[in-house]
Amino acid sequence: MKHSPTAAMGRLIGGFTGMGRKYGAEWWILIIGALIIGGIILMALLAPLIAPYDPHDQAAGPQLAPPSSEHLLGTDNLQRDVLSRIIFGARTILGVAILAALISSVVGISLGMFSGYSGGTFDKTLSLIMDSVYSFPGLILAITFAAMLEPGIMSITIAVAVIYIPTYFRLVRGQTLTIKEELYVESARAIGAPNLVILGKYIFPNVIATTAVVFTMNVGDAIMIEAALTYLGLGLPPSIVDWGMDLAMGKKFLPSGQWWLITFPGVMISTLALGFTMLGEGLAEILNPRLLER
Amino acid sequence: MKMLRLIVTCLAVACLLLPATALAGTTLVYGTTERVTDMDPANAYDFHTWEIFYNIYQGLLGYEAGETELVPQLAESYEVVDGGLGYVLKLRKGVMFTDGTPLDANAVKWSIDRVIKIKGDPSWLVTDFVKSVEVLGSHEVKFILHNPVAYFPSLLATVPYYPINPNIYPADKIVTNPSELKGGKLVGLGAYKVASFKRDQEVVLEVNPDFWGAKPKNDRVVIRYFADATTMRLSLEKGELDFAFKSFNPSDISDLSKSSKIKTITGQGPYIRYLCFQCKTPPFDNKIVRRGIAAAINRPDIIKKVFLGQNDPLYSMVPMGMWTHTNNFKYDLGDANMGLSKKLLAQAGFNKSNKLKFDLWYTTAHYGDTEVDMAAVMKQQLEATGVMEVKVKSAEWATYKENWRNQVMPVYFLGWYPDYIDPDNYTNSFAGTAGSRGNGIHFSDPVWDKMFVDGMKNPDMDERAAIYKKIQQMWTDEVPTAPIFQGNLYLFAQKDVYGIKISPTLQFIYSVIEKK
Amino acid sequence: MLFILLTIVFVVIRIMPGDPVSAMLGGHAPDKVIEAKKAELGLNKPLIVQYGNYLWQVAHLDLGTSMIFKQKVTSAISDKLPATIELTIFGMLVTLLVGVPLGAYAADNRRSGQDYLIRLFGIVIYCIPVYWLGLMFQMIFGVWLDWFPVAGRTSPRVFASTFEQTGLYIIDTLLINDWKALWDVLMHLVLPSLTLGLVLSGIFIRLTRANMLDVLRSDYILAAEARGIRHFPVVYKHGLLNAFVPILTMMGLQVSLLMAGAVLTESTFSWPGMGRLLLERIYLRDYPTIQGVIVIFALIVAFMSLIVDIIYALIDPRVRY
Repeated sequence: MKHSPTAAMGRLIGGFTGMGRKYGAEWWILIIGALIIGGIILMALLAPLIAPYDPHDQAAGPQLAPPSSEHLLGTDNLQRDVLSRIIFGARTILGVAILAALISSVVGISLGMFSGYSGGTFDKTLSLIMDSVYSFPGLILAITFAAMLEPGIMSITIAVAVIYIPTYFRLVRGQTLTIKEELYVESARAIGAPNLVILGKYIFPNVIATTAVVFTMNVGDAIMIEAALTYLGLGLPPSIVDWGMDLAMGKKFLPSGQWWLITFPGVMISTLALGFTMLGEGLAEILNPRLLER
Repeated sequence: MKMLRLIVTCLAVACLLLPATALAGTTLVYGTTERVTDMDPANAYDFHTWEIFYNIYQGLLGYEAGETELVPQLAESYEVVDGGLGYVLKLRKGVMFTDGTPLDANAVKWSIDRVIKIKGDPSWLVTDFVKSVEVLGSHEVKFILHNPVAYFPSLLATVPYYPINPNIYPADKIVTNPSELKGGKLVGLGAYKVASFKRDQEVVLEVNPDFWGAKPKNDRVVIRYFADATTMRLSLEKGELDFAFKSFNPSDISDLSKSSKIKTITGQGPYIRYLCFQCKTPPFDNKIVRRGIAAAINRPDIIKKVFLGQNDPLYSMVPMGMWTHTNNFKYDLGDANMGLSKKLLAQAGFNKSNKLKFDLWYTTAHYGDTEVDMAAVMKQQLEATGVMEVKVKSAEWATYKENWRNQVMPVYFLGWYPDYIDPDNYTNSFAGTAGSRGNGIHFSDPVWDKMFVDGMKNPDMDERAAIYKKIQQMWTDEVPTAPIFQGNLYLFAQKDVYGIKISPTLQFIYSVIEKK
Repeated sequence: MLFILLTIVFVVIRIMPGDPVSAMLGGHAPDKVIEAKKAELGLNKPLIVQYGNYLWQVAHLDLGTSMIFKQKVTSAISDKLPATIELTIFGMLVTLLVGVPLGAYAADNRRSGQDYLIRLFGIVIYCIPVYWLGLMFQMIFGVWLDWFPVAGRTSPRVFASTFEQTGLYIIDTLLINDWKALWDVLMHLVLPSLTLGLVLSGIFIRLTRANMLDVLRSDYILAAEARGIRHFPVVYKHGLLNAFVPILTMMGLQVSLLMAGAVLTESTFSWPGMGRLLLERIYLRDYPTIQGVIVIFALIVAFMSLIVDIIYALIDPRVRY
C-alpha cells in the first residue's frame, strides 16, 4: 500500500465530485456528521446572540418550570434558563474536547515520529510506557488525574489529553517504522539530508492523513470523557456552563419529575459525539476503501 | 412487552410463595446516606457514628429520646466540688458489658485515659478540659479539671467520654472496624449490640438482652447505607424502608412532605452554615470589608433557590432554639442590603471602577451537592452590588482542609454541627483565638478571648447569658464569620412506625421506636 | 505494564495537592499532630523511599493498608470486586446477546435497509454516554413505570448479611436456596447490565458484521450454499462459529472499555463496586487504596487478554505460543 497523502486526498476530492454515487451511505454518514458538528459549532460561536437569556441569570424565569413557549427547555432550581445553558455549554465541551485532541495529537504524533525514527532504547522505553497506558481503561486514569488537579478548564483538558497520547503514538510510530524503510527516505538519508528534514518533509506528510481520521473519532471520544468527568463532579467550577455538570445537577431531580433537566444535556452530548463519530466513520471508509468491504 | 410483564409478574409471585430466611421479631429498616467512620469513641467525630454509639453504649450523663435536658445515665448522680474544678460521679451499680465485664470506676478511668493517650480527632473535648480522672471507690470517680467549666455536664454526655469495655478495646490503638477488636465483636452495654457490620452497606443492631434500662420496643434495627439520596427516597416510597434520616435532597423533601403515604418528622437542627473570612489576609483583615460582604447576602433567596424553602435563615452564630440566641444580623445588616454594602465597601476604598475581587471557595460532596448551587447564588448576590467581582473555586474536602490550614482561601463556606450543646461551642470555635485558627479564620482579639473565658468559667446562668448576648452583638460589628442558614432536620417514616423522636442534640434513640 | 502504571499513579497522586492526613483530621488538629500522623503513615519520608517500600510490599503480594480506614486494601477490594464482576459479566452477556445476532443479521443482509438501520443503531448507541442512558432507564423503567429497582444491589429488606459468602450475590443466594433474595438480586441487575451491555453492543455489532462479511465471502460458505444447504444454519451456525475467533479477540481488547463503562454505570446506579471505591478513595486521598484499585484493574485487563489468547490458541490450532 502506498503511503501517499495525495492519493488519499484525491479519493476524498473524487468522492465530493461524484458524491453519493460511488460511496453511497458512507457519504451520507459523513455529511450528516459534518452537519451536526457544523450546527453545534455555529451554535457555540453565536451563543451570545441566539441564547434567549444569560446562562447565569438566576431570575430568567420561575423555579423548575417545565418546557414552555417562554422557556423552550424549561428552567432549573436556580431559575436559570436551560436552553441558554445548553447553548453556552456547547462552548465548554467543544473547547475542551478539541483542545485535548489537539494536545494529544501534537504530543503523540511528534513523540511517535521521533521514537519510531530514532529507534533504540529510547524507542523501546517509550513504547513500553505508551503501551501500558494504552491498554489501561483511559477513563479511570482520567478520573484519577482530574480528581487530583485543581478544578478548571485546563486541568480537565489535560486529564482528557493524557489518555489519548498513546493512541497517536502507536499509530504514528508504526507508520514511521514502515516509511523509514521506503526507498525515497533511504535515498534522502543517503544524500545526507538532516534527520529533522526527513521527518518533516517525508514522514510527517505521510502520517498526517491517517491521523486525520483518528483525530475526528478522538474528538468524539474526548467529548464523552469530558462529559463523564464533569458528570462525576470532577473538574469544573460552577462559573463555567457545562452539559455534564448540568446533567449531574439535574440527576437529583430524577424522581420528582423534572425530566427536562437530565434529558436535554444528555441528548446534546450524544448528538455531538455522534456527529464526530459519523464524520470519522465516513472519512475512514472513504479514505481507506478497504475498510468499506469489512 | 405485555407478555414480558406477565412472565415477570408470574415469576415474582412464584418467588414470594417460596420460603425465605426471615428474621424473627420486629425489624426496623433505617436508611441513611451517612457513613460510619471509626467504631471507636477515641476517634469517631461525626454524628452518624456517634448516633450508633448512643444506641450501643451509654454516657455517664445523657439525654432522653427527643429531650434536650441532661439526665444521669450510667452515673446515678454527680456533685460539683473544689469550686468547679472537680466533678464526683457515682456510677450505677450492677451494669455490665454484654461479655460480663462489670462497669466500674476503673473502666471509666481507663476509657478516659485511653482517649487522652490516643489523641484522636475529638480528644480535645476531653484534653482541653480534663486534667485527670481519679478512682474514689469501686463505683465512684472524680474528674479533675484544668479550669472550672460551666458546661462540663454537656461535655460528659459526648461520645469521647463514653466508658468502653477495657477487655476488648486495645489501650493505645484506634479501632476502625469491629473485627479489629479482641474477640472480633463489639461488646457494649447499651440497648443494642452490633450483630453484623458491613461498612457502607449495612449494620445490624440487635437488642441487648442484658441491658439495664427499659426494654426496647423493637427487636432489631438494620441500618442501610445509601450512596445517594434519590435511591433512598425511592426505597422509602416503595415501603422498603421503615424510616430514613439524613440527608435528603431538597426536591425529595418537598415531595415526601406532601406525600400522604409517608410521615414527616421535622425539627430544628443544630446544624448551621456560615461564610468564613480569613481575618488575617488583606483586605479581609478590615472589618468594614467583612461587614460590606455580609450585608449583601440574601438569605431567603438562597433558601428558596438552593433549598426549595426548607431551611431557616440564620442571623446569629448561636442557632435558633438555643438559649441566648438573638437576631442581630437581621437588624444590623439585613438581607441584600445593597445600599449599606456599597457604602461600607466604598469606605474601604472599593467602588465600581475599583471592584473588590476575591475567590469564593466551596467544597464538593462534603456538604452535599447543594453546595455548588449555594456558591453560584452567593456569587450572583454579591456581584449584584456592582462593586464586587467573585470567582468561585472548589476543592474536595481533603484539599479544602489543607487550604484553610495554609490560608489560601480568602472567603469560604463552612458548616458546623455542635460538639456539645452550649453557646460557647458556636462562638468560641470561630472567634476565640485558638478555635478560630483551627477553622482557618484567624480572628483574634484579647477582649473577645477574655469574654469567652468568663463565659466558660462563670457558673451563673444569667451572667453567662449576658456575655453570649453581648458577643452576638459584637459579631455584627466585627463579622469574623457571617451566618447564612440553620438546617432543619427531616426524618421520613412509614405510617405504621411510631415513637420516633428527633432533637437538636441529634441524640437519635432507636429503642423507643415501634411498629404497629 | 503494571509496574509502569503503578509508577505513574504513585507519583501523580503524591505530587498533587491534598493528602490523607488532611482528609482524616478535623480542622482542629494542631501542626504537631499532623506531623505525627504523617510520620506514622510514612508520608514524611522522601518519595523514592516511599516508592521503594511500596514496591517491596506489592512484590510480596501485599497492597498495603488503607490510610483512612485502617482496613487491608485487599479486603476493601475483595468487598467491592464481586459487585463489579457481577455487573460486567451480565453487561457482557447483554452485549453478546444484542451485538452478535444483530451484527450477523446485518452482514447476512448487507447493504439492505435493515443493514443500515442496524449499523446506525450501532453508531448511535455507541455515542450515548453510558451514565446518561442509565439515568434515562432509571427515569423510565424505575420511576415512571416502576418495573425495576433503580439502584443498589439488593432491596433494603434483603439483608446481605444473611447470605453473603462469595460476594457474588447470585451464587450466594443460590447456595442457601434463598429464591426470594435471588429474585431481588436479579431484578437489581437488570437496569445496570442492560445499560452497560447496550452501550457496548454498538462495537460488537460492527465487529460481528465485519467478521461475518469476511467469513460469508469465504469458499466453504459459498460451497455450502451452492450445495443447497439451508441458508439459516449456514450463516448463523457455520458462519458465526467461524467468525467467533476474531470476535473473541476483539472482545479481549474491549475489556478496558468494559471496565470504564462499569465505573460510570456504578456511579449512576449506586453500585457498590470498584469504580465507586476508586472515586470515594480519591477524594479521601487514600493512596494505598487508589493504587490497589489501579493494580486490580490492570490485572483484570492483563488477565482477560491472557484468557483470550488461551482460548484463541485452543480454538485455532495454528496459533502456538
